[in-house]
Amino acid sequence: MIPISYNVRSLMVRKTTTFATAGGIALVVFVLAAAMMLAAGVKKTMVAGGRPDNAIVTRKGSGAELSSSIENNAVSLILAAPGVKKDETGTPLGSGETVVVIAQEKLGGAAGQVSNVLVRGVPENVLKVRPDVHIVSGRPAKPGTDECIIGKNLVGNYAGMNVGEKFELKKNRPVEVVGVFEAGGSSFESEVWASLETARSSFGRDGLVSSVTVRLESPAAFDRFKATIETDKQLLLEAERETTYYEKQSQATALFVSVLGWVIVVFCMIGATLGAMNTMFAAVAQRKREVGTLRALGFSKFNILTSFVVESVVLTAVGGLVGLIASLLLTFGHVSLMNQASWSEITFSFSATPGILIGAIIAGCSMGIIGGFLPALKAASTSPIEAMRG
Amino acid sequence: MTLFGIAARNIGRNKLRTSLTVAVVAISTLFFIMLRTVVWSWTSASEFAAKDRIATRHKVSFVMQLPKRYAEEIAQMPGVTAVCYANWFGGKDPKDENDFFATIATDPASLLKVYPEIKTSEAEKQAWIGDRRGAMIGDSLAKKKHWKVGDKITLAGSIFPGNWDFNISGIYTTTTTNVDRATVWFHWDYLNESLPERSKDKVGWIVSNISDPGASGRISKAVDAKFDERDLQTITMSEAALNQSFLGMFSAILKAIDLVSVVMIAIMGLIVGNTIAMGVRERTNEYGVLRAIGFLPKHIAQFVLGEALVIGIVGGVVGLGLGYPFVNLGVGRFLEENMGQMFPQFRVQPQIAVMAFGLALGLAIVSAILPARKAASLQVVESLRRVG
Repeated sequence: MIPISYNVRSLMVRKTTTFATAGGIALVVFVLAAAMMLAAGVKKTMVAGGRPDNAIVTRKGSGAELSSSIENNAVSLILAAPGVKKDETGTPLGSGETVVVIAQEKLGGAAGQVSNVLVRGVPENVLKVRPDVHIVSGRPAKPGTDECIIGKNLVGNYAGMNVGEKFELKKNRPVEVVGVFEAGGSSFESEVWASLETARSSFGRDGLVSSVTVRLESPAAFDRFKATIETDKQLLLEAERETTYYEKQSQATALFVSVLGWVIVVFCMIGATLGAMNTMFAAVAQRKREVGTLRALGFSKFNILTSFVVESVVLTAVGGLVGLIASLLLTFGHVSLMNQASWSEITFSFSATPGILIGAIIAGCSMGIIGGFLPALKAASTSPIEAMRG
Repeated sequence: MTLFGIAARNIGRNKLRTSLTVAVVAISTLFFIMLRTVVWSWTSASEFAAKDRIATRHKVSFVMQLPKRYAEEIAQMPGVTAVCYANWFGGKDPKDENDFFATIATDPASLLKVYPEIKTSEAEKQAWIGDRRGAMIGDSLAKKKHWKVGDKITLAGSIFPGNWDFNISGIYTTTTTNVDRATVWFHWDYLNESLPERSKDKVGWIVSNISDPGASGRISKAVDAKFDERDLQTITMSEAALNQSFLGMFSAILKAIDLVSVVMIAIMGLIVGNTIAMGVRERTNEYGVLRAIGFLPKHIAQFVLGEALVIGIVGGVVGLGLGYPFVNLGVGRFLEENMGQMFPQFRVQPQIAVMAFGLALGLAIVSAILPARKAASLQVVESLRRVG
């Protein structure tokens, strides 16, 4: 077999061409990895909001909290269902919440640009039902007042979204921000949490909630809970495990990002493969004599074929690696995207999974294999006598 | 033989390489056409918006509702000629819950007055107005679902619970592309009478026709001022501004597409430039000979640029030749039929085709500048000495 160092040196001889081709591949792999990392980030952010031992109840057929509404008296029935965990005083751990979207002025963009922010009216015990939520600055809101806490992604991105500042839920109904919370990277971090009563009265939703989230005694208690909730045909309710619910919510956005990403990547990959092919054809033509010599020395046609394919793969793998490393820098940044299930803006980060890293490298190498095969075949079929004669 | 002729002849020397490079240029042209058409298709809805319509909704959020009497009050205002109110119903086909189409409750007679671009036959129009459970559906939805006039359909409400029965009274088509052709319109009264007392008499948004398109800003302000001291405030804007505000929510995606266009141009530029540089390197000898017999450096540069120009022209033409059928007959037809909400019209626009062709030429020439300069600055003796 022809040593790989021969291929590496050959590549170094034609530095400019090698760098231009590898640079093209690097850009393609960068775009591929970025798109997939964003799609994974969307999924991760959405799913992070769910716990396997929490269940969320919405009105049957509503599909999402935003279009669901549940009457007050049904809330107590839900909390009384078997499988719901109780705190030390015997009160069931459940949170009936009302969800509304408000348009809020965005900072840093064009003047007057508004974006939708999700406002969640929450009862007093919400932090017990969602133990993953922690106040990171300021303090929790006092129950029943016009105070609210906000997710950390909102801070500084929207008008009035800072501890000590105020913004209006509706005209003449200001709320004061008293604290900032984080929630394990979930979509809650892009929400405003106000008291349930404030939210209901501001938005004319008295006597209604959008959804009820309960803690279960254990993840296994879900089936019992679901059966009780859904057998009551009068209530017309639907219970889902929180993890399942959030996964469903993320599907549309994640799919959109990955479809868009794939379309882009397929086109760029075709272009970059053709580019690699051109480079390798030129390399083969230029080294015709070398190939003839190698054949004369006794290397088989197959040796020549693999050697050129290897050279092409080395070329694209280097490019792919550079592109991948560049794309990893994106994990320090984030993007605000419209979530199609809640019609509000959520901040997502790029999330690198092992699958994406391996996939990107495979994509880079496959461009090398496909682009290098035809030129390698041409090299392998060179007749030694012809080639050495020049 | 002209200089350009020689440049064009040179292309034929390495046919394989030339065809690969032309393919790269053609693919980037095609891809560019597609990306720009996506952006155009999204933004066109606001371009085509009627100038004489303004829309009013709840100031806080479009998921909140307004009292129906607001519509009656707007209708009384000077400059307003017709008013139509509507509610998003959020119905789903129980047989296929993932299939999204718009279902909207409205007042039939005023809808057809405010939206003259919604076309249906007079008989179907009268049938719809006369049947409380009647629905008017878009032709693309009817085709997809195999629904016909006279069919009875049942939709499951996601916002308003339960199963709702409708009779299809008519099928509409539109004369402009800013109106969706996959919507189910039905009687607002039918929805309203089934609601509990507390939810009755509410509308999601109000669209008004105004007599003077130039007054749309003034009338919008007047409407908002009228309701400013009431319990629920409104925000009113022209149809174009409304469409644009929806689009604003996807601004991150539009930005991403712009960014990708730039990255793609960079990739293709690298590839084309590389190919041309390879050709120049291989012909160093010849350029030496040409210089020795009296050609000037600028002539050598012209050879290289001329060659790139021909590649750009051929690649651009091939790209356009592929792009038109690919977008208009393939992707475009698919998107219009299946994602009509987002892409009401997905066709190659002349200005995009011109831009794409310009891009192909520009890409080829810009990427040839460096190799051309290199070729022009060769020392005659040096280049004659160099082998291969």
